[in-house]
Amino acid sequence: MMTESIDVKQLFEKWILDADTKLDEKDLVQEIQNYLLSQHSEICGKCTPCRDGVVRIETLLAQYVDGTATLKTLEEFEQLTNNLRASRCSTGLDIGKNLEVVLKNHYHVLYSPVRKY
Amino acid sequence: MAKITINGTELKVKNGTSVMKACESLGIRIPTLCFLEEINEIGFCRICVVEVEGEQDLVSACNTEVTNGMVIKTDSQKVLDSRVASLQLLAGNHKFDCWKCPKEGKCEFYNLLKEYDVVVDDFGGGNPRNTEIIPGIGIEMDQSKCVLCKRCVAVCSEVVTAKVLKFRDDDGMNPIVSPTPGLAFEDAGCIFCGQCTNVCPTGTLHETDHIKRVEALLENPNKKVVVQVAPAVRASLGEEFGYKVGTPVKEIQGKMYRAFNLLGFDEITDVNWAADLTILEEGTELINRIKNGGKLPLFTSCSPGWVRYTEMYYPQYLDNLSTAKSPHMMQGALIKAYYAPKYMDEKPEDVAVVSIMPCTAKKYEISREEMEVDGIRDVDAVLTVRELAKLIKKRSIDFRRLEDLELTNHLAEFTGAGTIFGASGGVAEAALRTVSEVLEEKPLDKIEFHMVRGADFESYKGFIKEATVTIAGMKLNCAVVHGGAALKEMYKRLDEGKKQYHFIEFMACPGGCVNGGGMPICDLPMEEVIRKRAQSLYDQDAFDTELRQSHKNPSITKVYEEFLKEPNSDVAHKYCHTHYTQKEFRKE
Repeated sequence: MMTESIDVKQLFEKWILDADTKLDEKDLVQEIQNYLLSQHSEICGKCTPCRDGVVRIETLLAQYVDGTATLKTLEEFEQLTNNLRASRCSTGLDIGKNLEVVLKNHYHVLYSPVRKY
Repeated sequence: MAKITINGTELKVKNGTSVMKACESLGIRIPTLCFLEEINEIGFCRICVVEVEGEQDLVSACNTEVTNGMVIKTDSQKVLDSRVASLQLLAGNHKFDCWKCPKEGKCEFYNLLKEYDVVVDDFGGGNPRNTEIIPGIGIEMDQSKCVLCKRCVAVCSEVVTAKVLKFRDDDGMNPIVSPTPGLAFEDAGCIFCGQCTNVCPTGTLHETDHIKRVEALLENPNKKVVVQVAPAVRASLGEEFGYKVGTPVKEIQGKMYRAFNLLGFDEITDVNWAADLTILEEGTELINRIKNGGKLPLFTSCSPGWVRYTEMYYPQYLDNLSTAKSPHMMQGALIKAYYAPKYMDEKPEDVAVVSIMPCTAKKYEISREEMEVDGIRDVDAVLTVRELAKLIKKRSIDFRRLEDLELTNHLAEFTGAGTIFGASGGVAEAALRTVSEVLEEKPLDKIEFHMVRGADFESYKGFIKEATVTIAGMKLNCAVVHGGAALKEMYKRLDEGKKQYHFIEFMACPGGCVNGGGMPICDLPMEEVIRKRAQSLYDQDAFDTELRQSHKNPSITKVYEEFLKEPNSDVAHKYCHTHYTQKEFRKE
């Protein structure tokens, strides 16, 4: 398992403040994946939204990587991100808040490959 | 008092009340998978989340206390979406083979998926996080169904106090609940009380299946199969067929006998009979110990879970245990050695005995090495009440429409004292009804000994009830102890030695057999279930049985005349008594 630390502050400054930068889909997905991986060691495994939700979000991101993501993938990603607000501790809550930022600022990047029209 | 608003309705509740309880007082049931009052209020499953005005995040209703002015929404879209998402996540890691799941229509998880219209296919459902099946002689664990609610862990450590099941979260992404990894339940110190199977919201923890074993026996043309049914079974079997909890025993018993007949058992007997016999054996042992200065207090030995508990955790008290086998083991041995040759014209080895029990530990008990006489096992299979109901349904028997069947063989004749064995305090009361009359050599003025009845159940963790009874000028200190935490507390009192007890009834399960690990799963509070089931047994004792003292049972007299000679005789010792040894297990 990867334990490489990520400068989260720096990452979010980029995500939040740099909303207009043109992170392409590949970079964005990769960054979210790296971020989630870095949180694995923080997850205590007690509550459902965080323990199982993060794993499922990673599966959804993998669908972006291998090109099988659909609109449903994005919908589910949103649903699970919102559900992290039901987590038991700050680990899950923080992951949820950070992913909400991603969705707010980069929705178009994730939407573009799965849109129907 | 705190003034709060739930879904637009204002109400006042006591400070410190949980949001869940406050909602219940308004008639709103908050769904949950992990909550167990007092012992597991941990908010793991997150199904009970609600929205609180001013809070950014959803909060769990089970372990959040109300505060003055709190505005709660239990049915907002945000809440409903979150519940669905959490259920989907759990479903994604759950093996769905519901049609053959031991939980059989009582699965809380399945019911929630249904209530919330959860679509599993879209979510990659049914891919279990762990597929290991942990074997055991009395209970088993299928981890592919575990939702990590931690209820079993809480019950095992708080109620039973064996601390066998643990939540292992070294790797937070892949936690598991299990006994010591790599060990079967019997090696890990489990007492097989089965309380974990009763609280498991899915079919993860369940009794070790004996249905196939019984079916094979019934199909074997070379075996005569004799069934024997425990006292508490008739107080709960009806629940599996839509009867209310606490339905009078007389409405169920005859149908139950008829069902045995239709299932193909060759002879039907009743363990209530051996309960009476146990009183004669155990009561005589008590009298002898009192008169001859034997080891006191005498502990009852009817609960195999508690016997194992003592053998593993408190072996210094093994000499206190009554050497009498538990009633169904006595009866099993006598069916084969006495009843089969004399009344069935069969050799002992051609007869198989099946016990219907409220208990999962009985499955372990029949496998104990010493439970045989002359190389013939006392009992061949044990079905829990749940398993019996499953078998009845499988054979398309319409239980509710069955005609009552009266039994005629003398191993089904019992007194009210035998009946009340199923309730906590019942063994002690039955013993006192006989011992006092034998010692005082005159009829009792009052049959009931209410002071030892344990039906006024107060806590999940069991309790201790003490009483002093004066018999023939002697003051006997008795105690009734049930539930693991209470067992531990009683041993502490015995260690301290502040009081001399003479007779102690121990039961591993809180409430005794009426709350055994093999009883039907029921959504009423545990205390209520125990009280109602116990009452139906006490009612049978008070209103439906002519005789209410074990020593007055003519069929018991008959077995002594025809076979056992007298209580505690050498023959009785050979078939009805056993011994106990310290049991080892691997400590973690």
